[in-house]
Amino acid sequence: MNQAYNHNLSRALLLVLSAWLLSGCVTSRIENIREGNTGLEEGEGIVIMAKSYHLGNETEAKFISCVGKSIGRGSSGLRVIPNNEFVDALFPWFEPRTAPAETKGLPTLMSRPGVAQKIKDQGVRYVVWLDGDTDKVAGGGSMSCAAGPGGGGCFGFAWWQNDSNYEASVWDLSGLEDAGTVRTDVSGTSFLPAIVVPIPLLARTQNKACNALADQLRLFIVSDESA
Amino acid sequence: MARQSLRENSALKSNRLKFVLSVMTAMMAAGCGGSKVTLHNPTIPEPLIDQMPLIVAARYPEVFDSFVHEEQVIGKEKWSIDLGRSNRMLFTQLFGSMFTDFSVVGAEDDARDLTFDALIEPSIDAFEFSVPSQSQTEEFAVWIRYRIKIFDKDGTQIANWPIAAYGKSQSGSFGGDDALKRAAVLAMRDAAALIILQMDKATGISKLSEAHANQTATPAEMPDEMTLRTTAAEDIPDESGL
Repeated sequence: MNQAYNHNLSRALLLVLSAWLLSGCVTSRIENIREGNTGLEEGEGIVIMAKSYHLGNETEAKFISCVGKSIGRGSSGLRVIPNNEFVDALFPWFEPRTAPAETKGLPTLMSRPGVAQKIKDQGVRYVVWLDGDTDKVAGGGSMSCAAGPGGGGCFGFAWWQNDSNYEASVWDLSGLEDAGTVRTDVSGTSFLPAIVVPIPLLARTQNKACNALADQLRLFIVSDESA
Repeated sequence: MARQSLRENSALKSNRLKFVLSVMTAMMAAGCGGSKVTLHNPTIPEPLIDQMPLIVAARYPEVFDSFVHEEQVIGKEKWSIDLGRSNRMLFTQLFGSMFTDFSVVGAEDDARDLTFDALIEPSIDAFEFSVPSQSQTEEFAVWIRYRIKIFDKDGTQIANWPIAAYGKSQSGSFGGDDALKRAAVLAMRDAAALIILQMDKATGISKLSEAHANQTATPAEMPDEMTLRTTAAEDIPDESGL
């Protein structure tokens, strides 16, 4: 019994150690700037949108989807309205070309026929506009691989640094105002040493940025620090 | 018996060889070839707008029934996109939402036999797309340049409006084919949004309704010269960003 317990414990420790070893070094920073009061009433929700590519934004679709899923997950998860449903319901006012770029465009938008009612029907209180992307900022090393009749293998060492910079602007559609901004900057270096078999030690900066931004956004929207 | 078995064995080997060869040929062809993408009747959502009180007819060019565009990436693969009847469907749905009375007329119909305030003739001036191997990004992009000509009930051209639409989609989120399809659909939605937002400003089409009202009420009060535009400006600022 005791032996089996020890065996399981050592396996768990080995797993944790492997997971730790297989992840690269990551540093992250998160900050928020509050402009107004926030909070969610019963039945209210949020929609996560990417800033328009007409404005040069290149936020990855998988990042937007990741933030939406993370904010909606768990017992404290918020109600997240799928952005394609929202955009289709309000066509053509949230298309990349027509979506308001600043909150001062909101009164004009709300005065358009049917827009305010449709937003109310959807239960959307906040629109979260995501901006930013993940870039490879540096890299180096070399690796060579060869294969022959007797087998193959790689030898060498490579590394690269990724930077994930994202900003989320929160617009309150009930007050037609900017509620604030949450920013995250995650930087990480991945390594790929290879002695016959390459062993990737990856720094998942985008994933880390997604989770950090989602957690902070949830707190930002639900809790009103000014109260 | 032994000879028959030998023959069967040899036939089997030959079939296997054929199979392996055909798989290899298919793989090589796939490597050097390209992709063909077909849009299956995409639709735009019902727009949240007030309809213009106009009797409008539209006449589509033949190309709106079958539009195929091919792009050869130099030294690499060949891509083709088949829009089929997507353009016809887009404009029919769009104009049907924009005007209180809308119909499509055939190419052979004589416009003089029909009653309308405006006859719209949309066409495609240019269609282009780029794939990730060209742009060195993960993105597929589609540009469509439409031209909209508008005629009044007397057959006088009142507007000739070129519009440029753009759509972009990432290959990381969708497969390559799906990303190109999505970029094309986004470009068509972009065109629809631009038409909804700018058409009246760019072409003055709503003035034809006033002309219609004036004419039916008191024909004598019809102005001598309607202030209609013969050519709409290309650089009309859009309302993006509101």
